[in-house]
Amino acid sequence: MRNYEDPKYRFKMERVENLKAVILAAGEGKRLRPFTYSEPKVMIPVANRSIMDYVVRALVENRITDIVMVVGYRKERIMSYFGDGSDFGARISYVHQEKQLGNGHALYVAKEHIDGDFLVLPGDSLTDSRAISDLLSVGAGHGALVIEGTMPAKYGVAVLERNRISDIRDQHAEGATNIILTGAYKLPKSVMDTVEMFVDEGNHVLSQAIRAHLPKMQLQPVFCQGLWIDAVYPWDLLEVNHAALTHAPVKTAGKIEEGVLIQGKVSIGEGSIIRSGTTLHGPIAIGSGCDIGPNVSIFPSSSIGDNVTIEPFTFIRNSLIMSDCSIGPHSFISQSVLGYGVQIKSHLMASSADAYVNLEEEFFKVPNIGVLMGEDCTVGSGVTIEPGTIIGPRCRIASGARVSRNLPTGAIHS
Amino acid sequence: MCGIVGYVGDKEAQEILIDSLKRLEYRGYDSSGIALLSESGISLKKAVGEIAVLESIMDRMPGKIGIAHTRWATHGKPSVENAHPFVDCTNSIAVVHNGIITNYMSLKESLAREGHKFRSETDSEILAHLIESAEGGSLVEKVRNALKSVQGSYAIAVVGRGYDEIIVSRNESPLVIGLGHDENFVASDVTALLRYTNEVVYLQDLEVARITRAGIEIMTLDGKKVQREPQKVSWSVEAAERGGYPHFMLKEIFEQPQAIHDSLLGRLGGTEDEIDLPPGRFTSVKILGCGTSYHAGLVGKYIIEEFSRIPTMAQISSEYRYSPVTESSPLVVCITQSGETADTLAAAREARRRGCKTVAITNVVGSAITREVDSVIYTRAGPEIGVAATKTFVTQLIALYLLGLRLGRTQGSLSSEQHREILSSMRSLPRIVQRVLNSADSLHDLARKYRNAHSMFFIGRHINYPTSLEGALKTKEISYIHGEGYPAGELKHGPLALLCKDTPVVAICVRDHTYEKMLANVREVAARDAPVIAIGTEGDRELDKFAEDVFLVPDIEPLFTPIPIIVSLQLFAYYLALERGCPIDKPRNIAKTVTVE
Repeated sequence: MRNYEDPKYRFKMERVENLKAVILAAGEGKRLRPFTYSEPKVMIPVANRSIMDYVVRALVENRITDIVMVVGYRKERIMSYFGDGSDFGARISYVHQEKQLGNGHALYVAKEHIDGDFLVLPGDSLTDSRAISDLLSVGAGHGALVIEGTMPAKYGVAVLERNRISDIRDQHAEGATNIILTGAYKLPKSVMDTVEMFVDEGNHVLSQAIRAHLPKMQLQPVFCQGLWIDAVYPWDLLEVNHAALTHAPVKTAGKIEEGVLIQGKVSIGEGSIIRSGTTLHGPIAIGSGCDIGPNVSIFPSSSIGDNVTIEPFTFIRNSLIMSDCSIGPHSFISQSVLGYGVQIKSHLMASSADAYVNLEEEFFKVPNIGVLMGEDCTVGSGVTIEPGTIIGPRCRIASGARVSRNLPTGAIHS
Repeated sequence: MCGIVGYVGDKEAQEILIDSLKRLEYRGYDSSGIALLSESGISLKKAVGEIAVLESIMDRMPGKIGIAHTRWATHGKPSVENAHPFVDCTNSIAVVHNGIITNYMSLKESLAREGHKFRSETDSEILAHLIESAEGGSLVEKVRNALKSVQGSYAIAVVGRGYDEIIVSRNESPLVIGLGHDENFVASDVTALLRYTNEVVYLQDLEVARITRAGIEIMTLDGKKVQREPQKVSWSVEAAERGGYPHFMLKEIFEQPQAIHDSLLGRLGGTEDEIDLPPGRFTSVKILGCGTSYHAGLVGKYIIEEFSRIPTMAQISSEYRYSPVTESSPLVVCITQSGETADTLAAAREARRRGCKTVAITNVVGSAITREVDSVIYTRAGPEIGVAATKTFVTQLIALYLLGLRLGRTQGSLSSEQHREILSSMRSLPRIVQRVLNSADSLHDLARKYRNAHSMFFIGRHINYPTSLEGALKTKEISYIHGEGYPAGELKHGPLALLCKDTPVVAICVRDHTYEKMLANVREVAARDAPVIAIGTEGDRELDKFAEDVFLVPDIEPLFTPIPIIVSLQLFAYYLALERGCPIDKPRNIAKTVTVE
C-alpha cells in the first residue's frame, strides 16, 4: 500500500485561487414579454428547467462550483429555485442589484466577491458544459466566448487582430464583423477597476468597459463549439426549448396506463398520470403531478410543466406549456407558448402559419408560429386565435371569440 | 433530505460526528445512526428520533474514524432497522447513503441468491452487501466495482474493518469533503463542516474519493486519477442555510407554491388516492390542535361540513380531555406539525380511550402522533425552521381539503360535477399563491404605513373567520403588535369600543354569501375613524369606497380563499416585523415545538 503520509500524495493545502463565476441574472428580459411577468427571463422553463439551470449545471460539470448570482427583478423566484446551490453541487451566493441599470453595473455590485480571475456569464442563454470548457481552454489567460453568425448581437461584435480581440463594436456600426460576443468572458480582476470607473461616470454597459480595458489585457476570442442559444424574441423560446429537450436527460416516473404509445425521448415526472390512448412522440418533457389523457396526442418538441391537465382529444405540437395550465378537450395547439396557469375550457384552435408578429409596434415576419400567451389567461370554449398573436398575462377571452390581434395585460375579449 | 457526515483523523470521532449531525438537523430528522471504526472492528448505534436520542443511548465509543447519518423519511417508516448506517453480513463494512437506487430490486434478488441476509427494507442496505461481494483487493476497489452495477442517485460513505480510511462517492446527490490538519471530513452539506474547516473539495458525479487522515485521493469509477483543487468557503453557517433570503420565514413563505404542489402530488388522481381513512361512516367529526394547527382545524370545520355535510367542530387539544364523552363517537382529527405536541398527543390518546377512530395530520413521518392514531395524512411541506408556521399551515389546509373531499365522496354528498370543480380549484392553488407572492411589494408598502400601530384587529366571517385569527396570531408572534382576530359580527358586541384612528382593522371581504354583511362591518369600522385594510378578491370595486387600503388576491372559489388570504397576511406580518426590527425567526418566549403540556 502506498504511503499516504508521503507529501507527494498529500493534497496541496496552500490557498488556491479558485475560479469564481458571476452570473448576471438581475434583469427582467423585457423583450421576452409576456413571459417575464412573474419571473425574469433566466427563469423561463425549457424542458422543465429554468434557462439558468442549464448554465449552473454547465459550470458545475466544469468544476466551477463557486457561483455568485446577481439578482434583482423577481429575485425570490431565483433564490427559491437554486437555494444555497447544494442541490446542484455548487455554492451559490446572491448579490442584489437594486436597480437594473445595466450589465456593467450588475457586475460592479458583485465586486466584493471577486478576488482573482473570474468568469462572467449572462444567465439567460441556454448553454452546455462544452461551451464552458471552450471558454476555460484559455487556461491561465483571458478570453471571450464568441460565435460566428448574423443573429442579433446584444453584447456587440469583436474585431480580431491575430489571436486577440482588438476592438468591440456595435453590430450595425461601421467595421462590424460577424464575430458575435456571447457575453461570457474569463476576465482578470483588474477589469473591475475599469468597470467601476465606467459606473462612476454613469455608463453601465459592460462591453464598453471591457472595450476600454482591452489594451490592458490579452482577450482571446474563443469560438464556441458547444451549445449557446439566446432567446431574443418570445418565439425563439420554441427553438431554445427544442435544444433543451434534445440535451436534457430522460427520467420516467409517474403512472402510465395501458394503451399509451411512447416514442423517442420522453420524460415524465413524479405523480403524473398518462391515461390510455395517449400518444407521446418525443422529444417531450412532462413535469410532475400532471393528468394527461385519455386520447391526447403530443408531438415533438414539446414541454409540459408541472401540475398540468390536458383533457381528451387535444393535440399539441412543438409547444411550450408552462406549469399549472389546464387545457380542455378537443384543443389544437401548434408552435405555441402558454405561460403559467393558463386555463382553457375546450376547443381552442391555436394553429400555426407564417405570420407577421407585432411586437411593441414593430413587425417581424416569423415562420410557422402559433400563439404566444402570457400567464393566468382564461380562455372560454371554442376560441380561435390567429397565428402570431401575442396575448398579455391575465387576459380573459370569452367563449366563441376569434382573436386576430394582440391583447394587452388583463384585457377582456368577447 | 437526509444527511451524511464522516470523520477520519487523530481525535475521537464520536463527538465530532454527533455535532456535525446536529448542524444538519435543521433539515429535519426522524432517525439517525453512527458507525465507528476501531481496532476491535465496527461498532454501530442507531436511534429513532432526534439526534439527542442517539446521543443519550451512546456510551463513549472508541474510534478515530466514523460515519453517521440522519434521516428524514418522506416515504416509508422511520425505525431502527431502516436507519443508517447499514452493515454487510460479516459486520466488516458499514455504509451510509443518500438518494435512491433505482435498480435495487434486481440487485437485491441476485444478492439474496448468493446467500446475503437483509435486515431492512431499504434500498440502501444492498450497498453494504454489494461491496462485500464485489471484487477487488482494497476497499476502494471493491466500492468502485460495486458502484458500477448501481443505477440511480447516491452519495455514500463507507468504512471497512482493517482500512484506516473512508471511501466516498456520489452521483446526483451532493457530497463535499472538508480538509483539516491531520484530519479530514465528509458531509452531504457544507454547513455540517463549517465549524471545523473552510477548505473543501466538491466531489463530482461518478467520482470516488479515498479519504485518509493525511489526505484525499480522487478518482473516477474506472479508477482514473482526478486532480482537484480545494476551495475556500467564505460563508457563515446561517447564510448557507437560508439560501439568499434574509430570514427563514420569508424563505418558507416563498416556498409555499412548491409545498402545495408537493402536498397535492399523486392525491388528485381519482381512483386510488393516498388519503387513508379508518373504515366506517361517521356522524360527526372533531378536529383537535394547538395554536396555528387549531386555526387550521377551524378552517377544516367549514371545509368538511361543506363537502360532506357531517357536523364538525374544532377544539383546542388541551381542552378536549375535559369535555364530556358524547353519545356517538366522532372521527377525531389531530393536527400537529411536528407530531410531538404534548397536548395533542395526550388528546389523541384520550380519543382512543373513548373508542373514537383517529386521524393525524402531521409534517413529520413517523413522529409520536403517528403511533397514537389509526391513520395519518402527511403534509409534505419539508422542514420548517421559522418559528412562525407558514408553509405548514397552508399544507395542513390542503390536507383538510383532501380529507373533506374524501369524506364527501364516501358520504355521497358530492356530485361528480362538484367533485371535478373542486379538483380543478385545488390544482390552481399553487399558481394562485404564486400570484400573491408576486405582489409582495405592495404588502411591504402597507406594512411601512402601519408599522407604528400598537394594536390591530382582524375580522372575517364564515371560513375566513379562522383566517383572521391566524392573521392576528402571525402579527403578534413576530411583530409584537397586539393583534386580535374576531368574527366580524362580534365587533358590535364589545371590541367596537376599542376602535379609534390608531387601531387599523384588517377586514377580509370575499364575495361569498357573507359579502354584504362584511361591507356593512367595514362601514361600521370606518365610521369610528379606524383605518380599514380590506383584503378582497380581484375584480372587487366596492371595497375602495370605504377602505383606507385595499389588497386583492386572485379570485377563486370562496371556499379556497383562506389560502391566498393567509399568504398575504403572513407577508404583511413579516414586513411589519421587519419594519419594526423584530427578531423574526426567533421571537421571544416561543418554541417551535411545544413538548410540554
